[in-house]
Amino acid sequence: MKQFWGSMAIALSATLFMLYQSGAFAEKQGAAKPQTAAAEAAKPEEKKTGPSADSITAQIDKTSLSNGGTITVTGTAPPGKPVFVEIWADKKVRASRFDSEPDKETGKRPYIFYLSEDMPAYYKLFVPAESKGALENIKKEGKSWSFSKALKDLGADVAYSVPAKVKIARYQTTLTGSIIGSRGELLPAMDEKENKKRSMQLVKARFRSADKVLGAGVVVNPDGTYKAEIKIREGLAPGKYNVVASVDKKIKSRPLAFENNIHFPLLYLENAGTSLNLFGPLLLTLAISIFGVLMGAGGGFILNPLLLTIWPLPHTVVAGTVMPTVLFAQGSGIYNYSKIKFISWKLGTVIGLSMVLGGFIGPKLTELITLDQFKFIFGWILLVLAGLMVWQTTPGYLAKNKKEQAILKEFQKRAAEEAAKKKQA
Amino acid sequence: MLVTFWGHEFKVNIVLGCIGGFLIAVISSMFGFGGGPFMVPLLTVGLGLPMYVVVGSSLLAIFFNTLIGTARHFQFGNFDLTFFLIMFPAAILAGFIAPQIAKRISPVAVKRVAVAGLAVLALNLLGVF
Repeated sequence: MKQFWGSMAIALSATLFMLYQSGAFAEKQGAAKPQTAAAEAAKPEEKKTGPSADSITAQIDKTSLSNGGTITVTGTAPPGKPVFVEIWADKKVRASRFDSEPDKETGKRPYIFYLSEDMPAYYKLFVPAESKGALENIKKEGKSWSFSKALKDLGADVAYSVPAKVKIARYQTTLTGSIIGSRGELLPAMDEKENKKRSMQLVKARFRSADKVLGAGVVVNPDGTYKAEIKIREGLAPGKYNVVASVDKKIKSRPLAFENNIHFPLLYLENAGTSLNLFGPLLLTLAISIFGVLMGAGGGFILNPLLLTIWPLPHTVVAGTVMPTVLFAQGSGIYNYSKIKFISWKLGTVIGLSMVLGGFIGPKLTELITLDQFKFIFGWILLVLAGLMVWQTTPGYLAKNKKEQAILKEFQKRAAEEAAKKKQA
Repeated sequence: MLVTFWGHEFKVNIVLGCIGGFLIAVISSMFGFGGGPFMVPLLTVGLGLPMYVVVGSSLLAIFFNTLIGTARHFQFGNFDLTFFLIMFPAAILAGFIAPQIAKRISPVAVKRVAVAGLAVLALNLLGVF
């Protein structure tokens, strides 16, 4: 029981620390923001005073949302031109993509790993309502859609600007590099055009489906006035969101901003770029972990795919965060077995050292595969596991197991006796 | 390799054990689970060790893997602190609740339910439905 309260104290202090941290982060970023916003606002203003006929104005009806909502953007643009509205969050997330597609001209596979830490946690480009049909066609392409092609089809590549400027690092991945668990050699930075092209692929890799990053909803009237009702969905990053309406590369409105607020028990996962109700994963982990202990397998097998299915989390974050949670359980298990001398240190350490090599390589490979590949391989792993479990419920196995369990109990008894004797002495 | 356990000696094909352990470690650290259910069959069937030797020792081997895997995931920026702090207390709590329930139900029944659950989840992941 003492152990129980001890662990609960650890858990409680961990939770308090978490609340403190999410609060502290929010304040820091809030203080830094207004400055940058002012600087950004100053630039386009100069442009506006220049060619006045070719300018676009924009207003928004709200400046704050609570975990998503609808915001209306209105304004006036030069008549007869399409209007695009670009929205992005100030919060940043990581986006990565492993390029192993054969080059169209040379047929060589480039094996380059693209990584950006500056992708906006939310990005969406709204195009004129007339493009609805074209957008539907893009959605029909399913998983194989291409963001750059979609932008071209919608005529929206002139309005695509924010992710185009994110800093992208590229690494030349090699087989030997992956084996020793390295990202590979860092290649020189790309020029603006190449950066833009690669950023589109990263946007797709990060946000995955077309309707997450593209929307048709800007209603433009013949006199140039426009209106767009923009729905910000639930579970997105909190903080400042920026809105810019544009006609082409040069004619852009002054950036507008609104705040997306989330409140406890919603928490923002900084690395995953998702807000979620903390009781969701908490209860799921509790239920699955209990079930995991009962069936004699760690909960990770079931927890990982379920987390990925229920919440829009990157598979890298899920794999990288579930793994440490079982560390404690394993450590306490080892402690309990070692107390009754039920561990062969020699066997465990020798095989453990070969597993260290494997554990060194595995996490590198996680970021090289896409979510769909992750799910596919995981599906097969689970089938193998289910097969193993069926085998473990066959009568032959059970009979053998019963005998071994009896021996185990006998040994445990002996170990306990020996420990008791030692205490007396 | 000879392993001595409570006065018994076992001859172990350590090459097979290490290769198997290595492969299980790559897969499990890549996908973020422990790997215990694969290690136990490897050691019992593959190396022919009895269950009572395997339970503790396989846990020790896996612990190495989880430790280094965690460090590497952290290094590559795959670790989310808030997310961890949500799941961690639940995982600890489960460790205390589960043994209480385990006394009352049959492990075979749990395994049968688990097989059904795993199969459904697997087919879902494979996109069958």
